[in-house]
Parts: sequence; C-alpha cells; structure tokens
Amino acid sequence: MRTYLGEFEQLLLLALIQLEDDAYGARIRTLIEERAARPVSPGAIYTALDRLERRGLVVSRLGDPTPQRGGKRKRYYSIEPEGAELLRRSHAALARMAHGLQPRHELP
Amino acid sequence: MTRPPLLARVLLRLMLPSRIHEAIANDLEEQWHTAGRSRVGYWTGVLRSIADVWRGGADRPGARPHGGVWRAIGADARFGARMMGRHRGFAAAAVLTLAIGIGASSAVFSAVWPILFDPLPYADSGRIVLVADRTNDGAALDVTYGTYRELLARSRAFESLAVVRSWQPVLTGPTEAERLEGGRVTAAYFDVLRTTLALGAGFDPADDRRGAPRAVILSDALWRRRFAADAAVLGTELTLGPNRYTVIGILPRTFEDMLLPGAEIWTLLQYDPALPLDGAEWGHHLRMVARLRDNVSIATARRELDEMARAPQPQFPRVPWASLANGFVVDALQEEITRGARPALLAFSAAVMLVLVIATANVANLLLARIVQRRREFAMRAALGASRGRLLGQLLVEGVMLALPAGAVGLLVARTAVNALVALGPVGLPRAHTVEIDGRVLAFSMALTFLVAIAVAFFPAVHASRDGLQSTLRDGGRTAPGGARAVRQGLVIAEVALALVLLISASLLFRSLNELVAISPGFDPSQVVAVQVQTSGVKFGEDDTVRQFFDTVVERISSVPGVTAVAAASQVPFGGGMADRYGITTERDYAGAGDTAEDGSAYRYAVTPEYFRVMAVSLRRGRLLEDADRRGAQPVVVISESLARRRFPGTDPIGHRLHVGPTDRPWFTVVGIVGDVIQESLETGEANAVYLTPGQWHFPDPTMWIVAKASAAHGLPAAIRGAVRFVDRDQPVVRVTTMDALLAGATAGRRFALLVFGVFGAVALVLAVTGLYTTLARSVTERTREIGVRAALGASRAEILALILRQGLGLTAVGLVLGVAGALNATRLLETMLFGTSAVEPWTYAVVTALFSLVAAAACLVPAARAVAVDPAITLRAE
Repeated sequence: MRTYLGEFEQLLLLALIQLEDDAYGARIRTLIEERAARPVSPGAIYTALDRLERRGLVVSRLGDPTPQRGGKRKRYYSIEPEGAELLRRSHAALARMAHGLQPRHELP
Repeated sequence: MTRPPLLARVLLRLMLPSRIHEAIANDLEEQWHTAGRSRVGYWTGVLRSIADVWRGGADRPGARPHGGVWRAIGADARFGARMMGRHRGFAAAAVLTLAIGIGASSAVFSAVWPILFDPLPYADSGRIVLVADRTNDGAALDVTYGTYRELLARSRAFESLAVVRSWQPVLTGPTEAERLEGGRVTAAYFDVLRTTLALGAGFDPADDRRGAPRAVILSDALWRRRFAADAAVLGTELTLGPNRYTVIGILPRTFEDMLLPGAEIWTLLQYDPALPLDGAEWGHHLRMVARLRDNVSIATARRELDEMARAPQPQFPRVPWASLANGFVVDALQEEITRGARPALLAFSAAVMLVLVIATANVANLLLARIVQRRREFAMRAALGASRGRLLGQLLVEGVMLALPAGAVGLLVARTAVNALVALGPVGLPRAHTVEIDGRVLAFSMALTFLVAIAVAFFPAVHASRDGLQSTLRDGGRTAPGGARAVRQGLVIAEVALALVLLISASLLFRSLNELVAISPGFDPSQVVAVQVQTSGVKFGEDDTVRQFFDTVVERISSVPGVTAVAAASQVPFGGGMADRYGITTERDYAGAGDTAEDGSAYRYAVTPEYFRVMAVSLRRGRLLEDADRRGAQPVVVISESLARRRFPGTDPIGHRLHVGPTDRPWFTVVGIVGDVIQESLETGEANAVYLTPGQWHFPDPTMWIVAKASAAHGLPAAIRGAVRFVDRDQPVVRVTTMDALLAGATAGRRFALLVFGVFGAVALVLAVTGLYTTLARSVTERTREIGVRAALGASRAEILALILRQGLGLTAVGLVLGVAGALNATRLLETMLFGTSAVEPWTYAVVTALFSLVAAAACLVPAARAVAVDPAITLRAE
C-alpha cells in the first residue's frame, strides 16, 4: 500500500473536509475549480475517489433522490480517519521540506 | 431536449467501468442542466471524463507512459511482435482473413469508383445529354436524320447538337489493309464534346451534304500507328474503301470517344438535307448527342423537346415511323453510359462490404478469445500500474500490427482481383481500361486498414475496460466472463447472418442464369461457324459487284468438305453492333385497319435461302425464301411469328403486302412465317423480324456474315478465310466466331455477376463457419470442468454431445433467422439482375438455409466430439 498521496488526491481530501456533509461530485469539482484554479472532469474526480475508497481513505454513501437531477441519487463522500491521518502526514512532510525557504522563494 | 445527447450517453456507458459510470453520468447531466443544456459542453465533458478515467486519474503515477507516447507504442509493438511470434498460427489466420476482406474491397472500389463516379473525360461533361426517340413502350430508339434536322432548327435548349453513327472503313494503302473503327458525325460533334483538335481544323459544316469533299479527323493513336506522328499527313489523301478522304485534323492524345468506344477516325455524315424518303435519312440508326445551354436543366430540355414533338410544323415533314408521337428520351451521357453496369457494380460493392464485415468480425472474435486467455497478463499489468489507456493502446497497436500486413497482402490480392475483373468482365463494361490500382485505391486500402484495426481492437478493448481487471487475478482467469461470451456469440451470429445473405444472393443469380439459359433462342447454334466479311474498294462501287462477291463466296464455301449448309446474312442473332431495324408498314395500315399507334419496327435480315437450314429456324406456315426470289422477281418476305401476331392479329398474313422501310418502293408479299429468333437480348426476347433475299433488298449490304454448318466445325474458319481470299484477296475478314460463342456472350454479364457473388459467398461461408467452430471449440475448453462434473454426475455421452450441439446450432439458428430477414430486404438491390425468379423465391431460401445448417452442424461436431471425450476423473483431479 502506498504511503503517500498525489497532489490531486490531496486536493480531493481537502475538498471533502471543506464541504463536510455536502461533498458530492459536482460540488467537489466546483470547489477545486474555484480554489485551485484548475479545470477537472467528473471522470478524473471519480476515478481518484474510487481509488481512495478502495484504499480505505474515504467512504461513500448514496443520498436521497433530488428533483434537480431528474430523480437521480447523489453519491456523497466523506474522509475516513486513515485518510485524514495520511493527508496530515503528507501536508506535514511538505511543510517540513519547505521550512526556512520562505524568504528565498516567497513560499507561504 | 430533456436529456443530454443520446449518442454521448451511450458512449459514456460503453467506455466507463460500471462501478463509477453512474456517478459520472449523473454529475455530467446535472452540469448539462445548469450550464444551459449545451450539446457541445456535454460532449466535451463526456470525452474529457473518458480520457481522464482511461488515463487513470489526474495524477496517477505512471499515467503518462515513461518516455512519451511513441516510446510506449514502440514497447507495445515489440510486445505484440513477441506475442505474434509465439502464436504464429493465430497471426497468420488473422492476417490472411483480413487480407481477403481488404483486398476484395479494394478491388471492387477500384472498379466501381472510376466507372460510376469519375466524370467523363470532357470539359463540363455533366451538360452533355443523349436524345432518343421514345417507342410505344417507353424505350429509347435511335433517331433519324430527319428528326435531327428538325431539332437542329427548332430547339433552343442546346448550345450544340450532333448525330453520330458508327463507321468501319477499310484503310488500304502501301502497307496492309486495315479495318478501322470510326464514326460518321455531323460537324458540331466535337463542339458538343468540347474537344479542340491538337492539329489542323475541324469539319466545315458546309461540307455536310451529299457530294461535298470528303475529309477525316484522326485519333492520336491512329496518327502515331500509321503515320509515325508526322504532321505532314495533314492535307494528304487516304483511301478508305472506295473513296479518297483528305486528312484535316488530329485529335489530342487524351481524347476518347465515349459514344463510339475504340473509334479512331471520323468523317462527316454527309446525308441529304432534302431528306429523300428512300434513303438512310429516315432510318432509326443515329445517336443524338447535345450540350445543354448553361442555364438550361435536363428537365427544361425534356419539356421543350416534348412540346416540339407534339407540335409538328409544315416545313418539317415527318414520316409515319418517325412521327415523334411518344416524344423523346433525354438522359445525361454519364448516366446513359453507366446505366447497364450500375446495378451490378452497386450490388458488388454491397456484397464486398459484407465480406469485409464478416472477415473483421472473425478476427475480432479471435482477438477477443485471446484477450480472455490473456486476462491474467492484463490484470497483472494493471496491478503493476498500467492505466486502462495503456492497455487500450496496446490492443490498438496489436490490431494495427495485424491489419498492416493484411493491408499489404490485401493490395496484392486486389491487384490480382482487378486483373481478373477486367479480364473476365463482360465486354460491355464501360471504361474498363480506367480500372487500376492507383493512388486513390492505395489511400482507400490504407483507410480501410486502419478502420479494420480499430474495429478488431474495439470489442476486446471495451471488454477489457468494462470488466474489473483486478477480479481476474482472484478467480484464476480460467473462464470467460459473461460479457465477453455474449459479444463473441453476437459476432458469430452476425457472421452467419451476413454469409447467408450473400449465399442466398448468389443462389438467386444462379437460378436466374439457369432460367435464361433454358430459353430457346429460336435457332440451333451448334456447329455453326460465323464469319463477318466486309467489301471495300473502288470495284465494289457497283451494287451487283457486292452481291456477286458474296454469292461466289457462299458457293465456294459450300464445296468445302464437311460443310452441310452455308448462307450469307446481313445480321446474325447476338452478332453485336448496331441492330438493323426498319419500320414496317402494312396495307392494313393504309386502309386504317392497322394499329396506327404501333411503331412496328422489326429486325431486317437480308439472307440467302439456305440461312434457315444453317440456323435450323423452323418454318411455321407458307414457304421459305428460294433461289428464285432474286432481283427482278416479285419481292417476297418471310416474317417471324411474333411480327405476324403483332401486325396481323386475327388474320392470315400470307399473301398480305408490306413495306420494309421506304414506302415508295414496291410492296413485299408475305410468303411464309418462321419461328421467332431472339436477336439481341434473351431477357426481352424481342423477335419481330422480316427475312428477304439480298437481291430483293433496296441496296446491297457491304458487310455480311457468312454462316456455315459443318459436321466438324474444326478447321472450318480457316477454310472460310481461304475461300474469301480466293474470291478476292483484298477483302478483310472482320470477325471469325461461332454461333455458340455469340450466344454465350449474351449471358456473359450474368455469368460474371454469378462468379463474383459465388466467390464472395464461398469466402463468407468459410469465414462464418470458421468463426462458429473456433467459438464453440473455445467454449468447450472453457467448460471442460463443467463438462467433467456433468459426466461425473452421470450425464451420458449423448447428453453432453447434445449440450454442445445445442449451443452451436442455437447460434446458427439465430444467425439464419436474421440472415433470412436480411436477405428478404437486401436482395431487392439485386432485383434488376434477376431473371425469371423472384427476389423472395421461397425454395432458394429454404435450400440455402438447409445446406448452411448442415455445414454448420458439421463444424459443431468436432468440438462436440472433444467434449464427449472429456475424462471426468482427470478434469476433477486437476482442480
């Protein structure tokens, strides 16, 4: 099992935390497009979410049917403790690597 | 629109694993609703999603192949080559199958495209039309010079208008005599075709009359062959038959006369504008060709001509047999030239497409079976990080690796097939010499090759993408998943159905040919040699000399040993060339008793009396022609049964009088009725004919056929040639053949169509049955364990045999049902090529379907026998 997260996977997990109970495909996509300023397709999102779910880092459940989607049900995702832990570790590793470099490269 | 585009949704469904398909589809649909239901936006989303999923997500490690796409293709190709090397039998079978499909398609394309769709080799050729008289039954009939003169003066629809008839002059001179193919045309002929001479000037319209100076224009080929391409030939005189002609022009090398195929020399028609009733001026033997004005459509021209036909003017008198009562037939030249060949060529195209689809389905099936075998390999690669896109790429590369050599071999197949097509094709195939493997055919084959590569890779690829590959590792990858099995069975069913369509088509054509061959032509062609002889030269200027010449030739041949009967005839059945027909006017027509709406033309045979014995034409009533019916005696005529029925209904024609052609000549008295002889077409069976002696005909025919019946036809042609040479060594023998050969020529087109469909049908049958066999054999291998268990539980051999046979014959049965349904629709395309049989003839369908079932059952027996031989003990122990 891989013990690190790809950049896009980190974006996804951050979005799940951000959106809490409202994390389904379309909202996640809008959020990433707004905040990370990169276009993503539903295909990319679900492929990655599917992979994260099979690694046990996120779980999904089907919501109730809503009229906007023609009665189709949404699939909601939420982050698992393992996912949160891995995200924290990845973030920390990145932060440690960046430590002390802010003045030179104007990193946050 | 309440749902996004259906095609995009189906594509999404096909290309995505079912696990995540629903979520993605729903998101895209929501996005589509919120973003103003943009079709383009939805498609973009679908395609990007598919691409992202197949690439394995946005930042999947290894999503981009190491070292770029080309390197990946190289790796895939190396891998594919290793696989093909290890499975040579499989690779060879696949390449060969595809090569047959691609080769046959390319060959048919190379024939169909230039013949049907290339414009004729004239500037703005779409504006050239043919104008013909319309007969009572709506058919086209060559026009008379009188009609041409009237249209020339009255019509406004045409920019130029000309008539043309064929001309076969004999060129004599210092070197050997040669009979040329040529045309007699009116002055505007080359304007209609918009052709400018390479050298010299065109015809002078003022010379187009009796007695004017004679001039000829030569083709580039003739100019090079006989005159060494010497420009000095312009202005010199040539001897053609009895007359001398001045060479006034040379046509460009590219010129090709589509109205007179093979023509190399042209002169002016030089008919008499005074339109004498007893001359050729009122004979239906001219083809009229015209160029439409720029702003005039064919429909407008038709209307104008028909109005003109209805409104005769006194300054343009008409004759009863060219009264234009039915108006005109106006058709584009291109359409007219390709009309005969079009249905057959289109049917060939459809047939070859079926063969290609069957071949492709067969190879897709083979590949799919191999993919199922290779599932462990694919699953392993996926587990090691290969994305779906990489796996798809590999399948595509492998498809191309099979298709490319197949395309190359296919071109060789195509070249052989094209040569065969041109060699075996019926003589009448227009523009056959333009058929060749050129850049266009090459491009077509290339495109086809890549399409085929994609098609054969498509089913395995979809299968590999849809099925969770990971699960394969767990179950050991032994059995084919349900999806793959269904696709394979679907492909086999399709192959069986399409092959049946082809076989039924071939059988219908076979039946048609049999029906046609069974028709009696009305004469006995066996052991009859036919030789066409032409008279030419100054000494034949006198009518009697010509008649004398043929009489002497006939007399001389009758003394050749073995010859039992010999005759001279102005035309023979199926002799080709322009049919010689004349209007028939009976006394009853004058009395008003005849059917005046009757255009009533008939074939005119000037024959020596022995003709009926040579051809075994039977006498029905009265008497045959006799030696006493010579020049100066009372003119007599023998008519065919069908003409008797048509022109003398309810009366005995014997003793009645009629005119053949000109009405100001003495009457011919009907003395006998003979059985019908089909002159031109077995299909229409037209047999209205009059027979009279050469001596009593209005003018001597310069070209005659000598027909001779002999106990041993072998060696006879040489003897006839010898006799002709003995009588006059300067007269060219135009053609030596047998009546058997002429009759066979009448069915050549059908034999050819049958050959093409027969070959395609046989290939389709072999491919479909092979597909059935491999699918069933693979299935038996996969079910070995199940069969073993069944056997262990007490299933008898018969039960196991039945189990496998049921599977194979079930597929066949579904295919056959679909095939019959398909054939019921598809054979409508064949209808114009059928004769004496319906496109839905039940017996043909039943017999072909039954035979197909037998062959399929035989193919199923082998895998079934293998299943019976499964030893339960061994199978179960192997677990």
